[in-house]
Amino acid sequence: MAALELEGVGKRYGEFHAVRDLTFSVEPGSIFGFLGPNGAGKTSTLRMVLGLIPPTAGRICVLGSSQVRTRLDRIGFLPEERGLYRLMTPLDAVVYFAGLKGVGASVARKRGRAMLEAQGLGEAIGRPMKALSKGMAQKVQLICALVHEPELVILDEPFSGLDPVNQQGLEALIRDLAGQGSTVIFSTHVMANAERLCERIVLMAKGRKVFDGTVAEARAAAPTRLVLEGALDPSSLSALPGLASVERDGGHAGGSALYSLQLAPGASPQAVLKAALQRDLDISQFRMETPTLHDAFIVLTKAHDGHEAH
Amino acid sequence: MIRATAAASLNRLRLIATREFLSYLRTPGFWLSLLIGPILAGFGAIAPGMMHQAAPTPLLSVIDLSGTGATPTIAAALRGQKPLARLVQPPMAAATAASPAAAARALRPYLSGEPPAGGPRLDAAAILSGTPQAIVVDFWSRDINDPDLRLAVRGATAQAMQQARLRAAGLDPNLIAQVSAAAPQVQSYSPRAAGGQVSLKDRLPSLLGLGMAFVLFFAIFTGAGILLNSVIEEKSSRILEVLLSSATVPELLGGKILGVAGVAASIIAGWAVMGLLAINRLAPDMIPAVGAALMTHGLVIWFALFFVLGYLMYASVFAAIGAFCETVREAQTLLGPIMLLITLPVMFLSLALEHPDAPLIVALSWIPPFTPFLMTARLASGPPLWQVLGALVLMAATTTAVVSLCARAFRAGALSTGRLDLKRLIGGMLGRAA
Repeated sequence: MAALELEGVGKRYGEFHAVRDLTFSVEPGSIFGFLGPNGAGKTSTLRMVLGLIPPTAGRICVLGSSQVRTRLDRIGFLPEERGLYRLMTPLDAVVYFAGLKGVGASVARKRGRAMLEAQGLGEAIGRPMKALSKGMAQKVQLICALVHEPELVILDEPFSGLDPVNQQGLEALIRDLAGQGSTVIFSTHVMANAERLCERIVLMAKGRKVFDGTVAEARAAAPTRLVLEGALDPSSLSALPGLASVERDGGHAGGSALYSLQLAPGASPQAVLKAALQRDLDISQFRMETPTLHDAFIVLTKAHDGHEAH
Repeated sequence: MIRATAAASLNRLRLIATREFLSYLRTPGFWLSLLIGPILAGFGAIAPGMMHQAAPTPLLSVIDLSGTGATPTIAAALRGQKPLARLVQPPMAAATAASPAAAARALRPYLSGEPPAGGPRLDAAAILSGTPQAIVVDFWSRDINDPDLRLAVRGATAQAMQQARLRAAGLDPNLIAQVSAAAPQVQSYSPRAAGGQVSLKDRLPSLLGLGMAFVLFFAIFTGAGILLNSVIEEKSSRILEVLLSSATVPELLGGKILGVAGVAASIIAGWAVMGLLAINRLAPDMIPAVGAALMTHGLVIWFALFFVLGYLMYASVFAAIGAFCETVREAQTLLGPIMLLITLPVMFLSLALEHPDAPLIVALSWIPPFTPFLMTARLASGPPLWQVLGALVLMAATTTAVVSLCARAFRAGALSTGRLDLKRLIGGMLGRAA
């Protein structure tokens, strides 16, 4: 049974389609990336998953039930924009939100204290939230979302506003959660985090799904690049087989220049390099650039824009 | 299963209400509100008397060009425990003036507040002209808003004219004096009074009804304000979204309304205790009378019902508005008309106390936003039961509809972004996405 299933889900606000015909599923215990640029429909989808807003089309099944609101106690949610009661202490906040999820006060207090201490917030436990730094407050809110040990964790842009060290800490936490059997879904428009964490991703653009698959499959959608450096002639480079385009990246002293060669789909970088050497091109350095998720993201969203324009 | 779900729902309601209640119990505003009521009530009770005693007695001159000899009658009319004015000799130029216009010209400098050197400072002057049978009074005063002195002079002059006519008709001056002094001893009775004759104890239910209407006004005014600020805080800090992912709208809205009602109820209970302690000290005999008055016509029970419905109606409206706003300034655009709506029945409260069966009051007490205030004020007069029950049913139906619409708007507002306007609020109430 999938932890989350969406089938033909749509959300319309008047004439505006925030989400159209969205179908995907998330396997239990996996880390799932829900990616897309701002305004792609990620937050609307997550709100529908949480039952905060009803879909105008389709079906959503959360933890085996289409009655989403009956599963709230088993879901942990961190919204995109965060805040807590300014006068509450971190421990009181954790106990309060745990209580709303059905955890008894004494259990929540014990668990909350341990989690806060584990996140380096032991000294801040009794201080009001307003006295905490933004990073500390974000950690407290994350603990509030996790203290009831949810089966499904939904994090909306969890990395925004975090410094690199805290981002690393959050990545470790997400891996731990999945390791303990929780399903983690997070939305982001920062691809590096998703690339490091996710097994599967769904990429959204303008309310539509433009990709659904593994990170490796997404990367494959972007072209591989071969970077060559030397006293090269752009026209002789363009004549090489298996290239989609040639771009000059920058110049060097002594007539040497850097060229980025985008390979045509299916072309082998080894074949291109072999052809260049056979033609005796003056190459001083070369390297192959494997596409990142960021490259794939740009290609896939642009391709979607192209389809939309047609 | 259903029982477990209901228990979980009740638990969330309790948690939200408790947090709301405790968060305000810790603020200085709560303790200030607790003290400000008795302080204002005490001040309101003694201030008018103190102000009356502390105000200087105005100085009045009478220039009688009519030859009526009304000055002693006017002087007698001014006397009292706190004289309306003290009679002083007019300036010579005014006293010897040949016409009212000349007298007025002569008086004006003395009425300016900075009299000529050596002259009296006057606050008012009455220039009597014409004939004893048809006196014309030109009343000059520095205080254009105080009618009391003018009316006293008018009354005394009228009496002098009547006496002059009676004397001209040949009546004995002693007889005239006796007739003028004749006044009945009036005693107040009412079939609604327990012993026939009206006493403070008989007026107590009406006064308590009026007091309860004011208490309701305070509870709505304060409670709704707290609720609005609380929702705005949660909206601006995005806590509402997290709360809605843990609790349903009825649980969240209900918990918040209950928690703030607890704050208002605590303040009112504090006032009641302080009030009872004050009565116990100043008039211990009145305590059983207050208890009896609260039970007159089931006053306390009806009050509780109207209070709950009125509070629910207004609180849910305020919460819905708060859910659309991230600052109080945004909310103010819609708060003005609602505040007017709450204040309007308060303006009719004293009329409702004096004339509880007046057609206007009866009609207004049927309009649901006004019902909790005006029906509470009317209750002590024993209005027909069908009117009370009918207004209660109408109020309950309206409150149910308003709470239901506001719950929808609350959900839409909690997840909305952008500025609040009436169109979005109504759209939210009708279930259209905001």
